[in-house]
Amino acid sequence: MDSNKKYWKGLEELQQTPAFVEGSKSEFAEPIPVEDVLNEEGLSTKTPRRDFLKALGFGLGAVSLAACQRTPVHKAVPYLIKPEEITPGIPNFYASSFNGQSILVRTREGRPISLEANPNGIGLNQGTDATTVASVLDLYDMSKLQNPQIAGKDVEWSKLDETVIAALNKAAAAGKQITLVSNTVNSPSTLAAIAKLTAKYPTTNHVQVDAVSYAGIIEANKNTFGKAVVPSYNFEKANVVVSVAADFLGTWLAGEEHTQQFMKTRDHKSLKNGKMSRHIQFESGLSLTGTNADVRIAIKPSEEAAVLISLYNAITGSSVAGGVASKKAATAVKLTAQELLANKGNALVVAGSNDVNVQTLANAINVAISAYGTTIDLDNYSKQYQGSDASFATFLNNAKAGQVGVALFLNSNPVYDYFKAEDVKAALAKVDFTVSFAQRADETASELKAIAPNNTFLESWGDASAKDGLYTIVQPTINPVFNTRQAEQSLLIWAGDTTDIYTFVKNVWNTQILAGSAKNWDAVLQTGFEYKGAKTAAAYTFSGDVNAAAAAALVSAKAVQGEFELKLYEPAAMRDGRYANNAYLQELPDPVSKVTWDNYAALNPKDAEKLGLGENATVTVEANGYSIELPVIQQPGQALGTVSVAVGYGRTKVGKAGDNVGKNAYPFASVVNGTVQFAAKATVAKASRIYQLAQTQTHHTIEGRNIIRETSFAKYLKNPSSESGRFADKHKTYDLWNKFEQPGHKWVMAIDLNACTGCGACIVACNVENNIPVVGRAEVIRRREMHWLRIDRYYTIEEDGKEYTKEKEIANINDFENVTVVHQPMMCQHCEHAPCETVCPVLATVHSSEGLNHMAYNRCFGTRYCANNCPYKVRRFNWFNYWNDSRFDNYLNNEFTQLVLNPDVVTRSRGVMEKCSMCIQRIQSGKLQAKMENRKVKDGDIQMACSQACSANAIIFGDANDPESEVSKALRNERVYYVLEEINVQPGIGYMTRVRNTFEA
Amino acid sequence: MSSHNESILREPLMTGKNITYAKITDDILLPVENKPNKAWWIGFIMALCGASIWLISVSYTFWTGIGAWGLNKTVGWAWDITDFVWWVGIGHAGTLISAVLLLFRQNWRNSINRSAEAMTIFAVICAATYVVAHMGRPWLAYWIFPLPNQFGSLWVNFNSPLVWDAFAISTYFTVSLVFWYCGLLPDIATVRDRATGLRQKIYSVLSFGWNGSVKSWQRFEIVSLILAGISTPLVLSVHTIVSFDFATSVIPGWHTTIFPPYFVAGAIFSGFAMVQTLLLILRKVMNFEDYITMFHIESMNKIIMTTGSIVGVAYLTELFMAWYSGSEYEMYAFENRIAGPYAWAYWSMMTCNVISPQLFWFKKIRTSIPISWVLSIVVNIGMWFERFVIIVTSLHRDYLPSSWAMFYPTWTDVGIFVGSIGLFFVLFLLFLRFLPGIAIAEVKLLLKSSSLQHKTKLVKEGAFPAEQVQHFADSLEKYDSVSEQDIKELK
Repeated sequence: MDSNKKYWKGLEELQQTPAFVEGSKSEFAEPIPVEDVLNEEGLSTKTPRRDFLKALGFGLGAVSLAACQRTPVHKAVPYLIKPEEITPGIPNFYASSFNGQSILVRTREGRPISLEANPNGIGLNQGTDATTVASVLDLYDMSKLQNPQIAGKDVEWSKLDETVIAALNKAAAAGKQITLVSNTVNSPSTLAAIAKLTAKYPTTNHVQVDAVSYAGIIEANKNTFGKAVVPSYNFEKANVVVSVAADFLGTWLAGEEHTQQFMKTRDHKSLKNGKMSRHIQFESGLSLTGTNADVRIAIKPSEEAAVLISLYNAITGSSVAGGVASKKAATAVKLTAQELLANKGNALVVAGSNDVNVQTLANAINVAISAYGTTIDLDNYSKQYQGSDASFATFLNNAKAGQVGVALFLNSNPVYDYFKAEDVKAALAKVDFTVSFAQRADETASELKAIAPNNTFLESWGDASAKDGLYTIVQPTINPVFNTRQAEQSLLIWAGDTTDIYTFVKNVWNTQILAGSAKNWDAVLQTGFEYKGAKTAAAYTFSGDVNAAAAAALVSAKAVQGEFELKLYEPAAMRDGRYANNAYLQELPDPVSKVTWDNYAALNPKDAEKLGLGENATVTVEANGYSIELPVIQQPGQALGTVSVAVGYGRTKVGKAGDNVGKNAYPFASVVNGTVQFAAKATVAKASRIYQLAQTQTHHTIEGRNIIRETSFAKYLKNPSSESGRFADKHKTYDLWNKFEQPGHKWVMAIDLNACTGCGACIVACNVENNIPVVGRAEVIRRREMHWLRIDRYYTIEEDGKEYTKEKEIANINDFENVTVVHQPMMCQHCEHAPCETVCPVLATVHSSEGLNHMAYNRCFGTRYCANNCPYKVRRFNWFNYWNDSRFDNYLNNEFTQLVLNPDVVTRSRGVMEKCSMCIQRIQSGKLQAKMENRKVKDGDIQMACSQACSANAIIFGDANDPESEVSKALRNERVYYVLEEINVQPGIGYMTRVRNTFEA
Repeated sequence: MSSHNESILREPLMTGKNITYAKITDDILLPVENKPNKAWWIGFIMALCGASIWLISVSYTFWTGIGAWGLNKTVGWAWDITDFVWWVGIGHAGTLISAVLLLFRQNWRNSINRSAEAMTIFAVICAATYVVAHMGRPWLAYWIFPLPNQFGSLWVNFNSPLVWDAFAISTYFTVSLVFWYCGLLPDIATVRDRATGLRQKIYSVLSFGWNGSVKSWQRFEIVSLILAGISTPLVLSVHTIVSFDFATSVIPGWHTTIFPPYFVAGAIFSGFAMVQTLLLILRKVMNFEDYITMFHIESMNKIIMTTGSIVGVAYLTELFMAWYSGSEYEMYAFENRIAGPYAWAYWSMMTCNVISPQLFWFKKIRTSIPISWVLSIVVNIGMWFERFVIIVTSLHRDYLPSSWAMFYPTWTDVGIFVGSIGLFFVLFLLFLRFLPGIAIAEVKLLLKSSSLQHKTKLVKEGAFPAEQVQHFADSLEKYDSVSEQDIKELK
């Protein structure tokens, strides 16, 4: 309240004496002689010499004194009340799950900074795929919605709830359908929340549809075994794996889990036991799996069915019509059949097609080779993909007919990823009210009436069930950053249930999952999962009709035949497109083509030559009435007459990083027999545009150099050190330099080239751990990507039984279909005699007493001599200030996204060299931990970000001074060689020869 | 260097008639004491434009980072170090002329040493700009010196050739500068004595109180001799150490023991070519034809031919060694130079550096001013390509084919190079405007021993046998500054 009271400063004011009144007029008690000083006379006064000296002396003294002041100390504000569990500088780990994999979330001072596999988890417990590691960045994505929206305008949640509930009531009253369209939901609590909505509004139905559909497998299993499920595959039990166009180590079903299983039959431990599986791949485009195959046969998409028919005939001795025509494929099929029969019960055939009939053929073969019950498990089936293309088509028809009152979209973006976006839009226009739970105003959400933005999984309570009987928990590691709300919570509120989501999830677990279990809720939060135990996998009898399936499959195949056959595939980094705004993934090079930031048309070099395509050429690909202009990759290994294009690109409303990257290939798809097909008859024509793809590797062969050492399994069995370049009597080497003493630890790595699939999860893990900037397409084209760890991929072209690795010879090759590939992870080798160390003028890069090559960023002034002198070219220079430069506005140029940075690792400024530090921060924290516990560092205490992310266990890190450490054992392996060991830089990273289990002629 | 009667078999080092000491002074100080002519202004404005391109490009680089250049993860040095080595190489001729030729009593150096040394200094300044500009964090450039610092006991890495480089170049620059300036003292004093007003004041400060006494001259001679002695090893050391930047590395194509002599020869080669380029214009524009004669031009062409041949032998030796080593990486590095994507650069280098100087075997060519001038430029183009070939083609395809990459320059790369030529000419033209372009005192020494005037006088006095006179007359035919009349007079 205002006060009218007046306070007087003294009796003078009270009495208003004339002296006071006079004095109060001027600001100062004594007048300041401004006039006297600033008048002409005052200004022209000569300063006497003594005054000048005095002033000078005073000035100098004052300035000196002022300069003596210490730099002000900026104190960080400590927690006023420190949360009990948070100690600044010490990470906390929380169990959670992503895409059904049990993971640990590492948080620092309350913010999640990285994800790693839960080592005690079921299934994939070592390693994570690239999307999982990268997903932490999505939490800090500025392109996400910050508030719920109605008609594109921000509203309060209460307003949105009101509107949605009114719409739901209206639809229910009108007897119209309420449809929830989602991708596969295997989360028990989400399903329970949907059930609540269904209970409130009985006209609710739930349509599950996956952008990349596995409906064909489900349908085939329903038809042949009466079980409408996707089975679990046990690759570790297979001695022979035959894949017909299934990228099972990459994106097909659970690639990373398959990798873990598969590499158990191929890595250095398995080889030590003299065992290695054989992997035969039939495919058109060169996939990640194809690059790892022992034998790979290039076929056209239309030949997939024929290969399976021939294989079936050869195995069962039947004579189903329509076997494979080409001689090469026929020979391969014959040999393959022999292999499969010889390993009956320990063999596996997988097919990548989404055609029910093709999958039925694969089922018939798998029954014939007794795969069910051993390598294929229909009882502990996978729940990762349950989408049904047919039910989505039904939804569209219903909607178009005006029968749908409300449509809700959960993790579903059909306007982008359904092949007929126009159909979806037309259908949506007929729906009275539409709402999406999308985190961003994506292609579908922006067409809808309302958006109720969902939390990211790092802000949510929830769960998943990737496999029958396995339940994993999702627990939040941070409060919702924006004004978003979990979709399940929204569903509950709209169903009139006011239970908060934590209690709801807890109740679901206590009643549905933990009933009768030894674990309680708290134990689940700690361990992260509940496993009911595996059921006995039974063998199954085939009850389908092979002849009918073969005939139908051939009809579909025939429809695909044409001048060119187009094959769509899910790429390793972008997947179905949902991660398109993740800059880490956009810049993750494709494992095969090494292209970043784009999709492209992959053509066999001979086809490209026929079309008259030069460098940086583009083509117009036309199929199913849709055509796009795509840059061309001349892909060795691509079947002649085929073109492969990745889906997952060409998003238009995903965010700053991902918008308009590449072209959308989904419209090339079509529905055949009720399932979405990714193969089509196509025409490919030269386009006039010149477009350069951003590749991180542009030379693709080893030029006959011994940096890759490769042997065959037969040779290996005879002599384990075959082709490794290890000789009994080494010549003496001489050193210019003093030997470094490493009395404590000596950190080294061993890399198993036989286990590395080239997937690139390690690259992303390294980026996240070490705050490695993403530089964008233009800079990648200028060959300036910053990845500390890269995977070199080399082709060997085979023709007429000869192998070609030199560029000059390859020019004369007739047919680029036969190619073998090797992936070589390459990072700083931490050389004992590091060439970089001797040339740095300012000692910014030096050797540690633990065998590491250190980089002192603060000391570096950027002559780049070290990078020039590095024989492995693993040093990366900060050409710009990537952290704070408006030209690099992909993702990190804001304070919010910068919260993703690992506080243990400094960001590097412009003009400074950087490179793999062997996660020195992890080594340091491991050593400190051991010190605090008053013990020695144990093997396995410290893991590198890359080795932790590797599900194939291809990267082994440890202390070479501990003879019992895993890495010491691995490095004693006969297969070990060192890249460029002949120049005597004494690298610290040993590589194990690539072994191929080829058919010996 | 007393004036005695020199044999007539030696060609004259100075032509012209009625030359007196005063005329020499007048002739040489003409550009210094008068307003510059049109040619100077045109040249200066063009050079200023060039220098401003340099300023813009360098400022842009400092502002945005080295990313403004075309470098990448594989090719960490390209135009920057190419330009650096090119300029350092050019900077070699000056000291060679002033020091080594002084020690060898090659009097013909007297008329070219001043501008050659000036060229050296400006070339080294240009080179030094790259040392700073190529750094990622140029504001920390002083870290290259072993200064006591606040960073604890941090010291420089004495194993690193870049540290050697910093010492070598700064020593070379300092010694060259001192040598040049000492030589200038008597000439500045001459300017001082003829000037009035402010000019006189400035020149008297610059002349360090030179009084022309016998004692001064004596000391001057001694200092020159001592500095020549100090400079001579530097001629060899600087480029030897620059070559160590490459030779001590492990990169195929760099890791070569032949580099020190090869680089020194290349440096002298390019330095003389640059001197030739400059002097041929200078003598025309400044009317110095009588002082810088055909004898000088031909002598320099002979040196260019000799060093060019040495460089050619070095190239072939490199190829032989690559084959003889049996090392696949080494072999590939040279295969790639000859036939790889940068083969055009290699063959440009071969043509310009090995083939073109061989033309100087023909007397007609080496005494032709236009051809000499064109070839001198061709040689420097070739020498630029030599450094580009060594640096970029070695780096762009080294050990692991996965990281092989191409280098494409950006406008900043080009701007810094073209601009540095502008910078060089700004400095050089200012030098010509304010300081005597020919060492007046030293040229005067030639008047009474090696000038045509003196020799003609002696001939007329009948001091030489007829066949020697005939030979002398024949040798004069190539001189563009000697008229047929003059030759006839002799006979």
